[in-house]
Amino acid sequence: MNSSRFRSLAALFGAVVAGTLAFAVPSSVLAQDKPKVIRISYSSAGTGGRPIVGGSTIATAHQQGALEKEFAKDGIKVQWTFNPGAGPATNEQLANGLADFAHHGDLPIIIGRSTGLRTKILFSYTRFGAAYITGPIDSPAKSLEDLKGKRLAVFKGTASQLALGRILKKNGWTERDFKTVSMDGDTLRAAIATKDVDGGFIAPFDLESRGVGKLIYSTGPDPELASQGVFWVSEEFERKYPDIVQRVVTTLIKVAAWGSDEKNREAQYKLWSNSGTSYYEYQKTYLDVPLKWRLSPLLDEYFVENLKKSIVQAKEFRLIRRDVDINGWLAPQYLNTALKELKLEGYWPEFNAAGKPKLAQK
Amino acid sequence: MKYPHPIKISRALAGAGILTLAGAAHAAGPTNQQLQKQIEELKALVTSLQQQVQARQAPAADTAKGATAEAVVVAPGLDATDKIESATKADIDGLRTDLENYKYEQKRNRETKTALTTRGTTIGGSVQVRATAQEQASRAGSTALAADRHSSFDIPQATLNFSGSLYRDYSEGRNLDYRLAFAYAKTSPGTDASQLNATDAYIRYSPFPTLTGLEDPRLTITLGQQQIPFGLEAQIGEELRPVINSAQFLGGLGVGNRQIGLIVRGDYDPYVDYGFNYRAPLIEYAFGVVNGSGPNKSDDNNSKDYLARLAFTLPVDYFSLLRELKVGVSAYKGTKNLTAGTTPAVVGQTKRDRYGFDIYYNHAPFGITYEYAEGRDGVVGTGADIKSRGQYVTAFYTWGEQWVASSRAQAKYDDYWPKSYQLFARYDIYDPNRALANDKSKIATAGFNLFFAETTKFQINLNHYQYENPAQRSANELLAQFQFGF
Repeated sequence: MNSSRFRSLAALFGAVVAGTLAFAVPSSVLAQDKPKVIRISYSSAGTGGRPIVGGSTIATAHQQGALEKEFAKDGIKVQWTFNPGAGPATNEQLANGLADFAHHGDLPIIIGRSTGLRTKILFSYTRFGAAYITGPIDSPAKSLEDLKGKRLAVFKGTASQLALGRILKKNGWTERDFKTVSMDGDTLRAAIATKDVDGGFIAPFDLESRGVGKLIYSTGPDPELASQGVFWVSEEFERKYPDIVQRVVTTLIKVAAWGSDEKNREAQYKLWSNSGTSYYEYQKTYLDVPLKWRLSPLLDEYFVENLKKSIVQAKEFRLIRRDVDINGWLAPQYLNTALKELKLEGYWPEFNAAGKPKLAQK
Repeated sequence: MKYPHPIKISRALAGAGILTLAGAAHAAGPTNQQLQKQIEELKALVTSLQQQVQARQAPAADTAKGATAEAVVVAPGLDATDKIESATKADIDGLRTDLENYKYEQKRNRETKTALTTRGTTIGGSVQVRATAQEQASRAGSTALAADRHSSFDIPQATLNFSGSLYRDYSEGRNLDYRLAFAYAKTSPGTDASQLNATDAYIRYSPFPTLTGLEDPRLTITLGQQQIPFGLEAQIGEELRPVINSAQFLGGLGVGNRQIGLIVRGDYDPYVDYGFNYRAPLIEYAFGVVNGSGPNKSDDNNSKDYLARLAFTLPVDYFSLLRELKVGVSAYKGTKNLTAGTTPAVVGQTKRDRYGFDIYYNHAPFGITYEYAEGRDGVVGTGADIKSRGQYVTAFYTWGEQWVASSRAQAKYDDYWPKSYQLFARYDIYDPNRALANDKSKIATAGFNLFFAETTKFQINLNHYQYENPAQRSANELLAQFQFGF
């Protein structure tokens, strides 16, 4: 091969690289008046890692295809990413510019903000859920105290870790009073079945019905101990496409209204059970609280105070290293517009800081 | 503790009542009035039991009725004909039969249609398929009777590996693991045959827990044939190196060779950012003792070689700009045989020492690695040591989701894999003897990697070779290859 032929080959190399690069440049770097794709990161996944989930308004919207229908006429794709790695995985996606919207528990989003992730909280999607500690079927433990010094599993970095911290604090303990280990949901279920842990932060009902687990402790629907979840948009996306953000919020609030209607309770459980978590488990875990309380999207006094309290507790439990300021973090204007447009003002009851209803609902 | 079921209490009370009444009647020879009274009491008892049964059945019926009514509410994603119905014994028997058939079929398929191993084993490997175009004529890698060539298609690498746990500690992860790996190699001079050489063959134990949390330190003890903890590139498996050709000093100083021995690797005081599942050990360390004679050989002298490595990673959050900034130093104190004479014979031993320094920074999309390595080799007689030196710097720009752990782990039904792209440039210098002039070689590489499946990538490297030796002409080389793993 002479030099001129080699130069031709080298030119070919350059052309291949340049062509591939032109094709590969992320669409997000190109200025557009609307996005080609809306990327939603979900901090959970179905049993066995399936991309279908339950237990929230956003899960219902995914299964109903609500956002896809809303944006089909604009040619905007909706891309869902379901993360078995839960909230920490969603944080990683935002940090790498791979998420526009996300569903998140309170601790991971607090950690994210403490380290500089820029998000705007759009609405809440869960509150007042009970927390459970479940052990192997033949566990001799009858209370949380019986697990002191034993192996207690929780998915660290998720809202469960903060909720566990609250429960332990109420009893005068800390994580250090137990051998706490980190396990995701699927791993923890398997570990309870094989008795590799003495207890774990997970609902007991599926495990009980399989004859491998039993309830050791439950908080019940306690506003002081319950976690809350949020749906957020990245600051960058919100700055570029506020109209799209409004349409996303309005669509999801419409779904939230459907899901909060008691007459749809069973139908919603059925949708959610496609995730692999049983219908029975949803029945049991959503039994004690009206859906309009449990699935309320409101950023009311209870939500704000609970968020502030969670930040303080996350620092106290040494789960974050820096203070978190909530000024400018909430963007309730999108929720308020959606409630007005959908004539849903007053549909969900507002709660005071103590978790008591303030106003009569519609 | 189990609480008795309410219906069982009722039954027990009813049974006790009947027995009491019957017992009393048998013992005393009852009058008609007494018998009448007992009949009335029994009637009352039966009525009470009937009421209890009805009370238990009514809510269940109401629930079923209500649930049926609610289920027929047409909801998005639901079939309007959905109803809640009770399974019959025949339904359950049918399900049981299906389950038994399924279990039987699975067991037979496992025995007759799958590969079984004594212990859980993962089988993997990688293959490179390469096209080369080069200015400088070459005959390397071909038969003894080859003519000059400027291009060739090659299979430069094919590996096969087996790994798994010999003992798996499910509760804390103090596992005893193994790995056995082979790599294909051409014969030299080339023939139609090829060799399959053992590359890795080791057993590894983790005395510290690996499942208890990211904040716990790690420690492994590895015995057998393995890569040595020297610098950055020498520790990375062939299939994971970003550049097609390895840095020159890996071969020149021999630190890329596998060794047989015992090596301890661990870390201390990891910085954990649970918000991102990120773990950065403040200190990583390794030390060990090896033969020093390379892979697949017994020791070639009576001295062992010793090695150590220490690396420091900045303890910062995942979102920090300084994430994954790591500085490391490595040392290898070895002994090699000295040979002399026309028929080489061992005339003594001398040192074969290696020292290295490295910097690693990888904060997507930018990354940079720098390695410096120096060799000191003794010589026959009283001459000065031969000092050699190699160093390279690689800068890369990456975009796509290949390196985002959460994207790789995302839930998916099918074999979706995001495309990722990497542009890089490397400058690599190696001087095998600093005391000699004109023996230095430099390689500048521009490259592009396209990752389009989980274990498959397409690589293009344009290499420019430059030699100090005026007898060797500078040359260019274009390499393009697919590398796929399985």
